[in-house]
Parts: sequence; structure tokens; C-alpha cells
Amino acid sequence: MIQLKKGLTVLSALALTSSILAGCGTKADNANSNANASSADASAPASESSTSPASDKPVEFSFYFTGSQNVKDMWDTLVPKFEEQNKDVKVKLVYIPSGTGAQPTYDRILAAKQAGKGSGDIDLYEDSLSNVTKGGKDDLWDTLSLDSIPNIGKINPKTMENVSNLAVPYRASAVVLAYNSDKVTTPPSTLDELYEWIRNNPEKFAYNDPTTGGAGSSFVTTSIYKDLPDEAIYSTDPAIQKDWDNGFATLKDLGKYVYGKGIYPKKNQGTLDLLANGEVDMITAWSDMVLEQTAKGQLPATTKMKQITPGFNGGPTYLMVPKLSEKKEAVYQFLDYVMSPEAQGVIVEKMHGFPGIELSNMPQEIQDSFKGVSEGFRSFNIGDLDKEITKRWQSEVAAQ
Amino acid sequence: MSKSMKMGMLGLILVIPSFLLLFVIVVIPIALSFVESLRNEAGGFDLSRYQFLFTDKAMRSNIIFTLKVTVVSCLIVLIVSYSLAVYMRFSSGRLVDLIRKTYMIPIFIPGVIATYGLINLLGNHGWLSRFLLLIGITLPRIIFDEKGIIIANLWFNIPFTAMLLSSALAGIPNSVLESAKDVGAGRLRVFFQIVFPLSYKTFLVAATFVFMGVIGSFTAPFLVGPNAPQMLGVSMEQVFGVFQEREQAAAIAFFTFLLCSVLGYFYIRSMVKDETARS
Repeated sequence: MIQLKKGLTVLSALALTSSILAGCGTKADNANSNANASSADASAPASESSTSPASDKPVEFSFYFTGSQNVKDMWDTLVPKFEEQNKDVKVKLVYIPSGTGAQPTYDRILAAKQAGKGSGDIDLYEDSLSNVTKGGKDDLWDTLSLDSIPNIGKINPKTMENVSNLAVPYRASAVVLAYNSDKVTTPPSTLDELYEWIRNNPEKFAYNDPTTGGAGSSFVTTSIYKDLPDEAIYSTDPAIQKDWDNGFATLKDLGKYVYGKGIYPKKNQGTLDLLANGEVDMITAWSDMVLEQTAKGQLPATTKMKQITPGFNGGPTYLMVPKLSEKKEAVYQFLDYVMSPEAQGVIVEKMHGFPGIELSNMPQEIQDSFKGVSEGFRSFNIGDLDKEITKRWQSEVAAQ
Repeated sequence: MSKSMKMGMLGLILVIPSFLLLFVIVVIPIALSFVESLRNEAGGFDLSRYQFLFTDKAMRSNIIFTLKVTVVSCLIVLIVSYSLAVYMRFSSGRLVDLIRKTYMIPIFIPGVIATYGLINLLGNHGWLSRFLLLIGITLPRIIFDEKGIIIANLWFNIPFTAMLLSSALAGIPNSVLESAKDVGAGRLRVFFQIVFPLSYKTFLVAATFVFMGVIGSFTAPFLVGPNAPQMLGVSMEQVFGVFQEREQAAAIAFFTFLLCSVLGYFYIRSMVKDETARS
């Protein structure tokens, strides 16, 4: 009897463990099913409205986007405003939390095309330059024209040319120097001046571990490509690696002068924290993070930004329309709205990003807040060489 | 069917679910990552990924660093927790009551929050350094250094270890201690010949827990550790997530598993010895 009782206890313990484990399983699945869940959320009101006595059934298209919470907040604000003005179009937002599924979304569009299944129900997709180029080669994106989206005319024509009119750059941010203007009166304006400043002010400059965030990675990449030809930053040819030696030597040498004689905080936020508590006076940082945190008071009001020449890495985030989408008309209508000064104003306010359209189309106070930082950045497009840089940085600069 | 055979069957049935669970969530992943780790860059199978672990200078210093941090953390955690447990078991008074009521608090604070708390407390411009500056002492670098990782490990591990050990010490009957004293044993002798041997097994369990917890830790080493050398957990994440070399990451993971299984072996051996001694 006692044995049996023991057995029962063991059994119930097992049942408990397995149910807990099962719980874990569903949690892990959450990230994947998130997309489905949010699409279900979004489709619910749509189906309601379609059953309502309204005469025309609105066209509903799916918009896949990824990013941090602020990106989601922005679309959650913009879409209702758009739908109010355009009763005939509904936008189904599908949010893929960053780091979980941006690549699969691209793969889905590609797979759907290869299987002859149209665009895989993805009618609008947001991503960075690398996937715009990649999709251009795979012939995935629709060519956008001024006739269908008049507001494209407000975008810098060169930017559109860069992506062969395959994508709309709807917002941008760049890596800049952020500094405490109380301590630094004349910020450096070139990379050489920056190096000099770092050497003259030991332990007062920090850039974050390039394996953990774009701000540090941009400083490293910019340094490595400093003496290379201008077009090198668009090359994905591995042969260029032998020209990196000079840059790495500089970075290695700078290690003695940066914060903590060679401490590179983790994540973009790591260096911002150091700037906030005054341990350093100058860092590299994403412009949108600096603007947002200065506005919220997390960074002191004396924080200022400056872009150097030639500039750090930066660039737009793009919206692409899959070529095989069946709801292009509705998507064009939405894109036209997104590129209107009104919607761009919301993007600037919510994301602290640079507007996608030219600044001259924006209100004066927005133009002022971006003075000196919204231009001059460069868009690096070096593909997988990025990985090689971080790898070499880790073994040569971090572990020197 | 005889009764003993019935009991045997029941035993087997009871064991199967846990065995299956173990098989699916432990054995298969380990086997898979072992196979993965044998794959070399050309796609064939050899030990080159392991060779890299020991020949690459940075990787070798990562391993040495991890072992150093782990051993130091284990020693300090065990010494502090054991002293705390002994103190709570054999002393009384308001201070002991207070300790008894509060020592578990760190368990209920999420790791990331605790780590950021430590950064704010011990950082170069943290509270502690500001206080120390008033009396003219400059705090050495703790955050972004191995000291930071060790302190974080103490914070995470001491409460649970102390809890384990004090429950073991509570199991020692007072009568045994009193009779030893009656026959003239001194305090040290009571401790080394009665208290420690009777709690030795739990001590081993605690050591195993701390060792495995520390060697595989990620949050604290990632946030407060130096950029290089790294703890193996941080390095694994970097190799897997940033460099995207799955096979190399698998090799690091399997190596970490081997390190843990060495300790596991001693633990199991002492358990088995104990079982055979009992029957």
C-alpha cells in the first residue's frame, strides 16, 4: 500500500512536471503564433464591418512589419487615422517582434512566389536596404511610380533611384556622435578629429560592443573603411578584407583611450547609460534613441548630436509591395498616405526618426530639430562582410 | 504473476514517463548538438571545432576565464552559505531572526533587474562609489569586470544554497549534538565529526547546483562582464547569434555539458555509494 502511495506521488509529480513543461512549450510557441494572433485581432473588426449594412466591402490587405515596440506603437496610431480617411481600405497589421521572424517573412514571400501562390497573402512589407536589394535580384518587388503614388514626388529622387523605385523609404535614422555640450564645446567634425579628441580625452569616449548593436558597429565599420575608396561601402566582395588591417590597427590603438581602457558596453543602450550618468562625454548612438531619450529626460538636456563627414552608417527603413500582391491599388493608397506630410509628422513624433520625405515638406520646427544630423549619413551595404568584421573585432580589438 | 514481478512491472511503468521526458528534452538535444559540433566547414565530420576551442587564443582564454569565475564563485558561495546556515541553526536572537526572514529575498527579484541594480550600485558613478568618495576611497572597477560577475553570482546563488544547507542542518537531531558534548567533545570536534559529515551530502548537492548554474549563466556575464575574455554562455550566444556559426556554438555547448557532467559524475557516484551502503 505504501509502495502504491509512493507510486501515486511520483505519478502526480510527473504529471505536474510535464504540465509545467507543456506550459513552457506553449510559451516558446507564442512568438511564432504571435503573428497569427495579431492577424486574428486585426481581422476581427474587419469582418464585423463587412457584415454591417455598408454597401461597399472594404479591401483589406496585410502589412507585415517588424521592429521594437515603438514601431508597433507608430503603426497602431497611423493606421486608424488612415482608415478614417479611406473607408474603402482596411489594413491588417501583422507585427513580427524583432529578432523572431523578419527573415522568415522574406522567405515566405519568396517561397510563395516559387510555389506559384502569389505573394503569400503579404501585400506590404517593411525591411532594411539589404532585403530591398535581395528582393530586387529575386524579382519580388513591384516597381512604384509617381502616377499611382503622387507623394513619392516628395522623396529625394536620389534615394528612390538607389532602390530603382522598388521601395519607399518612409523613415530613416542614422548613427551620430552624441555628446554632452557642457563638457565638449567644439565637437569633432571628421573621423580624424574624433580620433584626436579620443586620444586627448582618455576614457571619455565610448562605443558599444559592435556585436550587440548598430551604433558601435557603425563606428567600427566607418573606421575600417576610412581610407578605402568611396564605393567600397557597397561592395560585398570578400577580397576587400585584406584592406581592413589599417582600420583594425587604429581601433586596437584606440582601445587604450576609450572608456575603461577598453570597455565596450553591451547594446546601443549601454553607451547611452554611460552618457546619461556622466561617465563619458561622447558616444556613438542612433539619432532616434538620442532624440527620444532627451525628450523623455533620460538624457540630460545638454545632450547634442553631430554627424561627422564622411558620415556614420544610417539609412532609411523601406516599405515594399510584393509584385504578385492582388491588392496593389489599396496598398498604393496607403503608401500615399504614409508619405504625406501629416503622416510623416506622426512618424517623426512617435519614432523620432527622420522623415522619409524631404525636410522642406515638413513644418519648420521639425526641420530645426534635425539640423545637422539628418543628412550626411551613408548607407553601408556590405552584406555578410559585417559578420567578418564583428568576428575580427572580437578577436583582435576586444581580446587584445 | 508473482507479487515481486508485479511490483517490478509497476516500477517500470512509473519510470517510463520520466525516462521519456529525459530522453526527449535532454538526451536527444545533446546527441543532436554533438553531431552538429562534429561537422567541419567543408561539410565533413571531424574534431576541428573542438580543436578550435583549444587552439584559438581568445577561445582558450574564455574557457580559462569561465572556469576561474565558476570555481571562485562556487567556493565563496559555499563558504558564505554554509556559515550562514550554521549560524542560523546554532544561534538565536533577533539578528538571526532577521536574517532568517530576509535571506530569501534575492530569489524573488528577477535576474535582469537585479543585474541592473548591481550596475547602479557598483558602477563607476554608482551609489557605493559616491559614498566611498566622501571618505576618500576610490572604488576599483567592479562592473565590466570579473569581480562584477562573481558578485552577481553570489547574489543569485547564496539564498538558495543557504536554504538547502539550513534544511540539512535542521535535520541533525539536537540529541546527537548534546550527547557528543556530554562525552566531552569540543565545539570544533562536534562540527567536523558530526555536523559536517551529516550535512556533507546536501553540501555536494548544493555545490553541483551552484557549479552548473554559474557555468551556464548568461544575463549577468553579458551585462556586467568584460568584452573579453567572455564566459562560455556569452561566447556561445555571440558565436551562434552574431557570427552565425551553429556548429561552433554546438561545440562550445557540448564542451560546457562535459564540464558539468564531470561534477555530475562525482555527485552520482557519491549517491550510489550511499545507496549501496544503506541496503
